[in-house]
Amino acid sequence: MHSEIKRIQELLAGQGYVADRAIATSVYLSIALRKPLLIEGAAGVGKTEVAKVMARSLGTDLIRLQCYEGLDATTALYEWNYQRQLLHIRLSENSDRTIEEREAEIFSEPFLLKRPLLDAITRDVAPVLLVDEIDRADIEFEAFLLEVLSDFQVTIPEIGTIRASATPYVVLTSNRTRELGDALRRRCLYLWIDYPSFEKELEIVRRKVPDVDTRLAEQIAAFMQLVRRVKLEKTPGVAETLDWTAALLALHREHLDRDTVEETLGVLFKHQDDAALIRTQWLDRLLDGVATLERDGRPWTQERIAQVAQRLEARR
Amino acid sequence: MDPGAYRAGRAAAGGPAVAHARWANLAANVVGFCRLLRARGLAVGPQEAADALRALVSVDVGDRREVYLALRAVLASGQDAQQIFDEAFWQYWGPRPEPDLLPAPAQEGTLVLDARQALDRVLLEWQDATEAEDDGEGERLPAYSPVEALTRKDFSTFTPDELNEMARIVAAIARRVATRLSRRTRRSARGHLVDLRRTMRHSLRRGGEILEILRRERKVQKSRIVLLCDVSGSMDLYSRFLIQFVYALQHATGRVETFVFSTSLSRITGQLAHEDLRAALDAVARQVPDWSGGTKIGRSLRDFLDHYGALLDRRTVVIIISDGWDTGDVDVLEAAMDELHRRAAKVIWLNPLLASPGYEPICQGMRVALPYVDVFAPAHNLESLRRLERYLGTRR
Repeated sequence: MHSEIKRIQELLAGQGYVADRAIATSVYLSIALRKPLLIEGAAGVGKTEVAKVMARSLGTDLIRLQCYEGLDATTALYEWNYQRQLLHIRLSENSDRTIEEREAEIFSEPFLLKRPLLDAITRDVAPVLLVDEIDRADIEFEAFLLEVLSDFQVTIPEIGTIRASATPYVVLTSNRTRELGDALRRRCLYLWIDYPSFEKELEIVRRKVPDVDTRLAEQIAAFMQLVRRVKLEKTPGVAETLDWTAALLALHREHLDRDTVEETLGVLFKHQDDAALIRTQWLDRLLDGVATLERDGRPWTQERIAQVAQRLEARR
Repeated sequence: MDPGAYRAGRAAAGGPAVAHARWANLAANVVGFCRLLRARGLAVGPQEAADALRALVSVDVGDRREVYLALRAVLASGQDAQQIFDEAFWQYWGPRPEPDLLPAPAQEGTLVLDARQALDRVLLEWQDATEAEDDGEGERLPAYSPVEALTRKDFSTFTPDELNEMARIVAAIARRVATRLSRRTRRSARGHLVDLRRTMRHSLRRGGEILEILRRERKVQKSRIVLLCDVSGSMDLYSRFLIQFVYALQHATGRVETFVFSTSLSRITGQLAHEDLRAALDAVARQVPDWSGGTKIGRSLRDFLDHYGALLDRRTVVIIISDGWDTGDVDVLEAAMDELHRRAAKVIWLNPLLASPGYEPICQGMRVALPYVDVFAPAHNLESLRRLERYLGTRR
């Protein structure tokens, strides 16, 4: 492995982020080639987290732009500080400057409110710019963003063109609620993050919740692997796994049993229907799967769990 | 971490001459690989090829797994694209190694890479290649949209009881599709957004007193929609529902023109304008002579182009709803599709069959039309209609 990729992997690990090779390689390339990194994947697989740990390991700031429908350039780029402008007009009421002079004065940098995009390109040290859930913004905004990402410069009519002093590292995330434009895709490196494998999830659990009992952690990770095979409204992600682990720890449980899981279903499933479906149709089978693994002995692997899962599905 | 530092330390053993030969070889292979991806429908051009080479300069080219990951990050910018990429990669660069044999570290030390020179050469090669193959492999490939598994209820399985409810939902979707507003704003006397910037400037001229609040409003996206709906026999199951959708769509916005066709074309915009759906459908039935007959898609499209071609401009989205079973002349169809594609902003083909498991657009009509279609999507249930919204932007 390239030493720098290894280093990135270690840096991310140092921040508590378990990155496989694909993630580390993409992050590295995005830094080395200075290309925006577009990360897609289901909710809760740790897309946003990549940007956060990237900023921390680069020792730079994270600037976040959360997208939503209706987000427009004024909210993303800059806005004038109207209160301050008004105040200034009031205070300079008796000055003998012309209207043009006063206008130029209030539409100048001291009265400019920087929003995330402008902020990101005017820092002395390149920050990490996280454009979160770009799929939620409209197509018009996507086009506008593309402009900014192509040139890293912004034109403000009253002031002129502002060029980036240091090109920011850019990470975009998308939950795929809408197809992104090809032009944007082509600007970016692409990374698809899937739900983690058993091994990876186990490592995440142990790293993030160090107090957890090894066996319980294994049971949790295995249970998650099995439960993700059930067709649900919202498949639980890594965030749910960690919440659940914390909940089980708080309840002083040492292993998974029916009562324990039933009590804590609300932590794992955010949809009433999902929780009901699991409780009525799947819970026994899932626990059975975990029990089978226990009987067959360790070590548990992704492969073993996949076999068990297949048998469970065949029994439907 | 300084990105420049990544390239440091790579200049080591191995004579430049040897390295150059190897690099040129690798570069040529990358170009060949890019061409393969392009032939399979990925948007891979010179820019992407150049990025791919820059990426290879930055990673360990002796490690195949790393080369794979790097090229994938650069060249396959989407989940579907990654699937295509995966298949192509192992095919082009040799079979997929066993997982435990994966990390085969570089044995021959590092290469001295003059990336710039290599890039120039590769770009030249690329340009030659594109010119040479433009009439062959370089043809436009259609933008397939991902087909989701057929988990939701198919139109054809609705019971009569469910129809009223469905009509209501369909109308709601159509309204949403049609009234999609642009997020750009414009000045307006009565808009609901306050234009603070202009207000401020305006007030300066009155000594800083805000006497008047200036406003903006959202611009309505002015794309026109032309619907061409197949009502031939093979579409019978679906057209009843689709006509409802079309009716609702037309009522939600004034900028929809609707045509139905089977062996000939009829404009039904006027008939659908009836306030009452039933009356509208009656009027359509009277107007259209060969409802549920055979299909001559090509001739119908030609008719449309000849008589209503004025409806087409760079802001017109054409939606064809048909299963593509054509009993007419294929050449006529192809020529008509070509012209549609050139004159309209976008051509969307909704095919109710597309969601059926194992369906492939092999029937002749569909196969001929596909290269001229920008979006090829299913339209067999409410969910698929709902997703229509995202295709309606006018940019290609």
